[in-house]
Amino acid sequence: MADKKYTPVERIKLASDGLRGSLAASLKDELTGAIREDDQTLIKFHGMYQQDDRDRREERSEKRLEWLYSFMIRLRLPGGFMTGEQWLGLHHIAGEHATEVIKITTRQTIQLHGILKSHIKPTLRSFDTLKLDSIAACGDVNRNVTCSSHPMESPIHQQVFEYADKISLMALPKTRSYFEIWLDHEPLLSKEEEIDPLYQDRYLPRKFKIAIAIPPNNDVDAFSNDIALIAIIENNELKGFNIAAGGGLGTTHGNSSTYPRLATVLGFCDTEEKVMKAVYEIITIQRDHGDRTDRKRARLKYTIDRLGVDNFKEELERRCGFQLEEARPYAFTKRVDHFGWHAGPGGKWHYTAFVETGRVTDDKRASFKTAFYEIAATGKASFRFTANQNIIVSDVDEADKALIHTILERYGVVAVTESSGEMRKNAIACVAFNTCPLALAEAQRYLPTLITRLEPILEKHGVINDAISIRMTGCPNGCGRPTLSEIGLIGTGYGKYNLHLGGDRNGLRLNRKYKENLEEPEILSELDGLIGSYSREQQSGESFGDFVIRKSIV
Amino acid sequence: MIPEIKLNILQELINTSSKEEIIWINGYLNGLVSGHGGQVTAGGHGGAVNAQPVKKISILYGTETGNSKKLALQFTGLAKQQSLNARCTAIEQYRHEDLSKENYLFIVISTQGEGEPPETAKKFYDFLHQTETRLEDVKYSILALGDSSYPLFCTTGEAIDQQLQRLGATRVLPLQRCDVDYEQPADDWFKGVIGLFASAPGSAKAVGTSAAAQPGEAKKHAKKNIEGIITRSINLNDKDSTRRTWHIEIRANEDLDYEAGDSIAIVPSNRHEVVERIIELGKADPEEHVTLAKSAGTVRELLTGKLNICYLLGSAVKKYAALSGHEIPDIRMDLVDLLRIYPLKEGTPFAEVLNILHPIAPRLYSVSSSPKLEPREVHITVSLNAFLKQDEQHYGLCSSFLGDLAVNTAITFYVHRNRSFKLPEPSKDIIMVGPGTGIAPFRGFLQDRDADAASGRNWLFFGERNFTSDFFYQTEIQQFHETGVLQKVNVAFSRDTDKKVYVQHRMKEHGKDLYNWLENGAVFYVAGSKVPMSHEVEETLLEIMSEQGGKTESAAKEYLEQMKKEGRYQKDVY
Ligand code: SRM
Ligand SMILES: Cc1cc2nc3c(=O)[nH]c(=O)nc-3n(C[C@H](O)[C@H](O)[C@H](O)COP(=O)(O)OP(=O)(O)OC[C@H]3O[C@@H](n4cnc5c(N)ncnc54)[C@H](O)[C@@H]3O)c2cc1C
Ligand SMILES: Cc1cc2nc3c(=O)[nH]c(=O)nc-3n(C[C@H](O)[C@H](O)[C@H](O)COP(=O)(O)O)c2cc1C
Ligand code: SF4
Repeated sequence: MADKKYTPVERIKLASDGLRGSLAASLKDELTGAIREDDQTLIKFHGMYQQDDRDRREERSEKRLEWLYSFMIRLRLPGGFMTGEQWLGLHHIAGEHATEVIKITTRQTIQLHGILKSHIKPTLRSFDTLKLDSIAACGDVNRNVTCSSHPMESPIHQQVFEYADKISLMALPKTRSYFEIWLDHEPLLSKEEEIDPLYQDRYLPRKFKIAIAIPPNNDVDAFSNDIALIAIIENNELKGFNIAAGGGLGTTHGNSSTYPRLATVLGFCDTEEKVMKAVYEIITIQRDHGDRTDRKRARLKYTIDRLGVDNFKEELERRCGFQLEEARPYAFTKRVDHFGWHAGPGGKWHYTAFVETGRVTDDKRASFKTAFYEIAATGKASFRFTANQNIIVSDVDEADKALIHTILERYGVVAVTESSGEMRKNAIACVAFNTCPLALAEAQRYLPTLITRLEPILEKHGVINDAISIRMTGCPNGCGRPTLSEIGLIGTGYGKYNLHLGGDRNGLRLNRKYKENLEEPEILSELDGLIGSYSREQQSGESFGDFVIRKSIV
Repeated sequence: MIPEIKLNILQELINTSSKEEIIWINGYLNGLVSGHGGQVTAGGHGGAVNAQPVKKISILYGTETGNSKKLALQFTGLAKQQSLNARCTAIEQYRHEDLSKENYLFIVISTQGEGEPPETAKKFYDFLHQTETRLEDVKYSILALGDSSYPLFCTTGEAIDQQLQRLGATRVLPLQRCDVDYEQPADDWFKGVIGLFASAPGSAKAVGTSAAAQPGEAKKHAKKNIEGIITRSINLNDKDSTRRTWHIEIRANEDLDYEAGDSIAIVPSNRHEVVERIIELGKADPEEHVTLAKSAGTVRELLTGKLNICYLLGSAVKKYAALSGHEIPDIRMDLVDLLRIYPLKEGTPFAEVLNILHPIAPRLYSVSSSPKLEPREVHITVSLNAFLKQDEQHYGLCSSFLGDLAVNTAITFYVHRNRSFKLPEPSKDIIMVGPGTGIAPFRGFLQDRDADAASGRNWLFFGERNFTSDFFYQTEIQQFHETGVLQKVNVAFSRDTDKKVYVQHRMKEHGKDLYNWLENGAVFYVAGSKVPMSHEVEETLLEIMSEQGGKTESAAKEYLEQMKKEGRYQKDVY
């Protein structure tokens, strides 16, 4: 590997002076809404992406206007929790600086799109006053740590949930550049404080993701992460975590050396100290052994496969200075959001609202944004985001439940949540057009329509109440985790999708490619046929994903 | 025709002469042949001498685009050749108290706006109309520049002429009006004036370097309608902008004679629906052929392409009131509204209405290209003029006419030279302040400086409403910046934040640098809206001089005056 050339991103990171690069100068450049090329890489580490409105490129070029550049900001929100007060602030920021829409992501955080360069600093400053930040929400570092979202999963949910924050802080880059560049803090007198034993000055070869799941619900799709922590709880007591590593879903069309992979369970740690240490050292192994010459093969999943799982585990134990215990038994038997009202620990109530494709906005059907705003304004609820892009209005006292419900009802949230079909409520679509620069096909703008066209087919075959999981992405990067669904649609070109089948319903088995480059009529007729036979030949309790495997359809 | 030996002498003379000298010789010979019946002998400097150079002659010029100045200087040169004691002064620098002491006063002045004096002549003009001082001893004559396409042709010159009469001055030569092709009438006037001082026939020197003595030049500057075709028309504003601004490219079928900094004049056509409504209301026969003082054609043709029917001048409204027998308040109105609200008497021949109307005035658009790139092309940047009339949105005639023109439409225009808005030599630095369509001439400047690989530095200030939708020529400016043609660019977008930021604020922020550039000899340009922009820019410039140069208010003003004198403060504002 030593004789291969490092990727340009490696050079940029090394030369960045703690992720500063020339961001300050880029911001000052009055002539363009863009930032310099190298800074486009660095700004990701600060939680932002430079994008442009892809619908508008041609027209603007003719007008001698540059492309309509703007920035997407993703918050660091370990475990996807926000206070009501923070939601209020977010609501205003989205209106003042972004497109109004608040987007809940598949990793339990929120994104705002369309922020002009001149609005970045005001936006981050406003977030700062709310004690929110976007540090390391993107880039070659540990990303937002996810955690099973619903408090009802366990009486000790809070205890597990707190790990998300702890891990996030442990794996936060030490550089103060975020504070200097965006919040105008004085530069440090000595760079000593910035010395970063974990990331050094190279950071990781690639993005890095960690999830914490509370069995039996695999709502976070734990195995798609670089590290999955599976909480082992006995008699309402946290015994420790099974530790899995090497998950990741992204592939590249036409590059057969890329593949999705589920994390491999390595063993069990009991104490917090050991858990944290193991997580830390998995990151250092990836830092030292990950492939820095090819970004397509740089994720931990390839590192583990190259080293071999046993060697990897050995190296991990060597670095930790302790052995991992044998993994404890656990079982994931579902992967769901608990819609509607549910009681959690301490007599608090939680309402999970169905937010289609995670876009919180006001439209003809319902006024989600107004509803959540009013709820936040009561000061009687907090907010949790799920890995399926939904919202839990949470921690509501019994006494306030009726009030909150009235608001949810008034703005149509209850109606949408209750009347949406099972397939729709269980579906995921990634962002794709018009902001994602990597999109080949539509996803969040299209999946809702496709489901509307599928519903009569489900109805016809009598499976309308079957929560068959369907997921769509605009490209094979897998942001909507389409390879972990029963029906996966992965964009290949505008209006064209590869159809994947055969994942299980709980996120434990990857699906496989069934047919390539299908357009809508073919997608509908293929699924009509397949679902028809499923409904006729299904064994009791068998899911659609299991059915196509049993029948060797894929 | 001419013996070889003489030809050789002539050749040698030409070879050893500078361009200016040759021009002078040319004029000299011209004068010999034409003006004075061959009686004048070429006697060198000591030859024919006129009467003693006693008479003090004061020549004033008031100009917007430099034509009057050019003529005044030419005239002064001529007078000096005649050993007359002639002094030429810019009208804004003239001390009003000197007026009554003048012996001979000659004024060259243009008409601007809607029959108004040039900006620089306003003070003098007002003073002249307010003063009570008698001017009994002053002898004078006026050379008035104008453009007969405008309704109020040469009215500034006329007004000054009348006012001087009223104050008791003696007109020694009738007012001379000049149209856009001013060379010949100006030359006639020069000769007339010089003739006044020739004590005896044959004693005056040959009149050289007269305006008409340069046939090439004269032809060049005659008003010449050029036919072109629109090859591109782009709305520069993005879709959610509050503005509409078109970049229009026109291709002519001949090489064009213009320089960066000039404008082109366009006479718009009236809107079809309005013309038809007027024909209907006036019960006119659209096909009737009518011959007027300045134009002829069918009623429809005249109403469409020749006569102004929008926002008639008060004088036209008055005539209409007389014609229709209505009492009409003293305001400007559209013809269609007059016909609607104050109908004509039954049986009024429509030609009488046409007779009242002025010609459609040409509109100027600063050229936004350099002929050095494409000698047959001219680009303009046209902003849709929008205004409210009784709370209803209306649009300016010419700007909407241009905006509506499709690609491949033919268009007629003529070049309007602006001698007072020109690039300096390539080594000089320039500072350009051009918000809105003020960017137009500077796009031409930058193309020009780029083509010349000029070594002087270029600094641009641009401003508009919103960065994302109103940054005219953004990608071109970026390219000029990246390739080192533009050393500095500062932009101000007034509606992007709650603080309204304009170009003058950016100038202030960069005051130190700006002052250094000025001290270094940079030429300062401002283009675009006259009020309030160019005034605020000027105030800011003065403030910068005080703050950065430690100057008192009056010292700063002096500094600016000095810059004006040196041609280092130039404006293209409207
Ligand atoms: C917002 C989100 C999708 C959503 O609709 O919710 C998203 C959106 C984007 N992802 Fe993702 N990813 C999102 C979850 C995922 C997931 C799912 C997960 O993590 O659970 C995956 C698959 C798991 C994995 O990482 O393997 C995922 C795999 C990718 C990849 C492929 C990585 C790979 O190893 O091949 C890319 C492209 C890349 O990194 O080069 C990518 C890149 C992107 C970018 C930033 C495009 C880019 O690089 O310029 C997308 C921004 C679109 C936009 O306009 O907002 N995104 N992305 C999710 C944000 C998560 C978060 O809050 O951090
Ligand atoms: C040297 C010079 C350079 C110029 N360069 C440019 C340039 O580069 N780009 C550019 O866009 N412009 C330029 N202009 C301005 C341009 O010449 C025109 O003045 C401008 O386009 C408006 O013309 P219009 O025919 O559209 O508006 P007009 O129809 O002439 O209307 C102008 C104004 O008159 C009033 N008005 C007109 N009709 C009525 C009515 N019926 N009732 C009440 N009020 C009325 C309104 O206030 C209106 O805004 C320049 C002007 C000069 C002198
Ligand atoms: C904006 C503008 C308005 C004008 N208005 C008139 C006018 O009302 N009457 C007129 O006779 N000439 C008018 N003219 C024509 C000028 O007087 C003519 O171009 C003259 O040659 C300019 O001389 P100068 O360069 O010394 O200013 C106008 C020119 C411009 C640019
Ligand atoms: S899956 Fe592809 S198209 Fe969708 S958001 Fe991710 S990168 Fe963009």
